Parts: sequence; structure tokens; C-alpha cells
Amino acid sequence: MSKGVVLVVDDEAPIRDILGFYLKRAGFHVLMAENGRKALEEMDKVQPDLIISDLRMPELSGDEFCRTVKGNPVTRDIYFVLVSALDGSVNKISGLNLGADDMISKPLHAQEVMAKVESAFRIIAMQKEIKRQNAELTRFQDRMNAELSLAANLQMGLLPALPGRAPGIRYTHRYLPADGIGGDIYAITPLPDGTAALMIADVSGHGVTAALISAMVKTSFESHVRLGGGPLDWAKGMNRDIALNTLPEQFATALVAHLDPRKNNLCYVVAGHTAPMRIQGGVAGGLRRPELLPGKGFMLGIDEHLPFTEQCAPYEVGDRFVFYTDGLVEVERVDRTFLAEEGLVRLSSELPEDPDAAAGQLVRQAQEYNAPNTFGDDVTLVVLDRLA
Amino acid sequence: MLNIQTRQEGSASVVTIQGKVNFEVTAQLRDVIRDTVASAQPKLLVINLEGVSFIDSSGLGLLVAARNSVDKSSGKLHLCCLPAQVKKTFDQTNLTNYFSIFATEQDALRGS
Repeated sequence: MSKGVVLVVDDEAPIRDILGFYLKRAGFHVLMAENGRKALEEMDKVQPDLIISDLRMPELSGDEFCRTVKGNPVTRDIYFVLVSALDGSVNKISGLNLGADDMISKPLHAQEVMAKVESAFRIIAMQKEIKRQNAELTRFQDRMNAELSLAANLQMGLLPALPGRAPGIRYTHRYLPADGIGGDIYAITPLPDGTAALMIADVSGHGVTAALISAMVKTSFESHVRLGGGPLDWAKGMNRDIALNTLPEQFATALVAHLDPRKNNLCYVVAGHTAPMRIQGGVAGGLRRPELLPGKGFMLGIDEHLPFTEQCAPYEVGDRFVFYTDGLVEVERVDRTFLAEEGLVRLSSELPEDPDAAAGQLVRQAQEYNAPNTFGDDVTLVVLDRLA
Repeated sequence: MLNIQTRQEGSASVVTIQGKVNFEVTAQLRDVIRDTVASAQPKLLVINLEGVSFIDSSGLGLLVAARNSVDKSSGKLHLCCLPAQVKKTFDQTNLTNYFSIFATEQDALRGS
């Protein structure tokens, strides 16, 4: 097996023969051509690894030939050594400027040529290895991107379908994962007694791990809701599930709520999460006075025995509620300040009647407030209207 | 950009953190805390948060994990010098009741 293919291009037959002799003896497969045009014809049949070409030749000279080879995406990676009868650094530099990879001066010395060829083939071997590794990395990245995109679609499928409707409520959301796939999740589960259970959670970190845990958080919430009880039972159950089934640094902040239109109240547990916002009469849109509902508590998953507290707030017909994850309000601006909950209250003081338009406006205004900085964390926003 | 410095004060290790503690830097901070606990095996680990402008849930998770890790080796973790923004986050997540938090580094080192 030959060590590689070398194309020798020179209008002087003796030079072609001498170079051919040494190259063959060193184990290379040798192709020959008497000028650039013939060399290009030869290259249509077999692509060489290395070209050694004279500079001055009839029909197509070495510099034109070099420019043609280096200008063609198919052949530009072929190692090109230009042979010039003119010595001196100026000629060498102009040759290299043509795109040649190396220069040899005439008169040729067989040993020098062979040393250059061996050195060139070491570089060629390295380039081939880099290309192979690049191709492998590209394939790997393509596969990862495809899988991430699939996972992101699956995650979108875990969110409630829009426009959201359940007895006595309408809702919408904006879900903006930071890395295509995120650790935020929310769920609204209508219950047989006409009430509904709601959960919004933010798993620490983002990306695939957080997304996997967020799916677990949703399943945990739904299974505890099925077992009955109220937000305190659900939060405690979810806390236990996350504490026992995730790694030490993995937690979730969550808001777990029970929306009860019969009692006109909303009872909830804040587990390290942003508290919900109530806009009294907000369903009608227009100028309102939003209020942040009180509440604080441990994140879910720190310790299975930590206590949580439940509280209740009015949940009247015509009220609008805004639930969100901290990514919406915790973007550090250029002046080092944050929108924060208070800023979101400000933005929520005048919203359109349509909940989807309201959600869109809130996200847009938060983005404008943070500009030129952008959301760095997952962002979820839910606007929920209490209807009759 | 996070700046982390560690030093020994008798049998205590002090880790001073400056900057934003979020998901991007938790790996760096985790390594420092783990190495400090593993190499110095301090009876008391003090984490000074005075220069922290912001901490997110990943950062809080890291501190909780640090406390668990120090607990396991029968040591103590004291936090000190929480700026207002960080204090607010700790309040919101009830972590003021989970950690031993001190106003100054001297208090944290004395444990009083």
C-alpha cells in the first residue's frame, strides 16, 4: 500500500523523472503532468494528497494552477508545494500568498524535496485526523440537537393545551426555556368537584437534567392531587418525592394551589417560589391595583421533614391571577437593578382584557425593561382568569 | 464573574464569595467548597456572602448541599454578611430558618 499520492507537475521531463524515482522509492504513488492544465485533467481522475508543481510552465503556469486548486472547495485542502527557480524570500512570500503551503527553490536537491514531502505528509495526516474528528463531533452534535429538539417538543407537550379552559376559569401561558429545554413546569388539573389544582415549579438549574426533574415534579403533583387532600398535602408529598429521588443539589421552587369557586378562595403553599399576584377585577382589563399575595416557604427537596404552611386568598369572579417563575423578574440590568416582583406589579397595573394579550404584553414589557440584557433563566408566566 | 477566596482562621475555613451566584458558576463554587471541606476538614465553615449581588435557586441549592456535606463530617456551616437582595431571597425561601446566619464574619467565626 502506498504512503500517499503525489502529483509532480513540471514541464521538464528529467525533473519529473528524478522526483518520480525518489518518491516511488520512498513508497508514494506518483502521478505526473507537464503543465497545470494537464495536471488538472489528471486530478479529474485521481485526487492527489500532495502536489509538487513548478512555477514556470507553458499553457497553465504554476501560480495559476495553484490559484485554481486552492480556489476550488473540492481541491483546496490538497497540500501544494510550489517549486521556483528564483530564490529569495520575496518569491517565497508571493508563492505562499497564492495559497501554496510550502515553497522549494531550484535547483532541486532530492534530499530536501523528500524531507519536505515527508514533513508535508505528517501535516496531511494530522489534517485528516482533525477532519475526521470534526466530522465525528458534527455528527454527535447533530444527534444531540435532534434529541434535544425532540425532548423540547415532548416537554411542550407536558404543558396544558392552549387556550386553557376549565370550569370557571380560562388561562394562558408563556413558556420560554433558556436552553431550548428547561426546568420550569406548570399544570392545572380540574377536579371532579368543580374546583381545580394548580402547580407552577422551577427546578434548580436548566437544561436536560432540570427538564427531567420537572417532568418528575409534574407527575408527583398529579399523583398527590389524585390522592386527595389540599395544597399542604400535595406540597409535602412533592417535597418528599423530590428529596428522596434527586441528587443533593437538586431542588424545585413551587407554588401549589387549590382554586375553589364554591368558597371563592384560593388556598396555596409557597415553596421557595415567587408568590402569586392577584388583580382584583382584572378580567375586565384596564387600570387595576394588583397585589402580591403573601407567602414564603422552603424549596421542595431540601429535606423530607421540613414544614410547609398553607394560606388562602380571595378568589372572586372577575379576578385575574398571575403566576410566574423568577426568571421573568430576575434579569440583572445594565444598572445592576432587577425588575423584581414590585416591577411586575407595576407592569400588571394596566393589562388588556384578553388573557393571551395580557401575557404577551407582560413578557414584552419585561424584555423591554431588561434590554439590552435578555432572559438568562427559564421563564414561565401563567395568566388565569376567574370566570362566573 | 465570580470571585472566590478561601483562608483558614484557626480550625475554621472561610470562603468569601463576590459576584453573581447562578447556574453558570455553581460548578466553580461547588469545587472550591468541596476541596475546602475535603482538605481542611474544618470544624466550622464560614461562607461570607457580603459581595454577592444575586443568588438564584441553583446557588441556594449549592449552599444547602454544602450544609448537608458539612453536617455529615460533624462540622458546622455559618453564613454571614448577607446583602439585602440575598437576604430577601433567603427570606422568600425560608432558608433564614435553615442556616445559621450572622451579621459579621467575626460573629460567624465566634458562632455567637
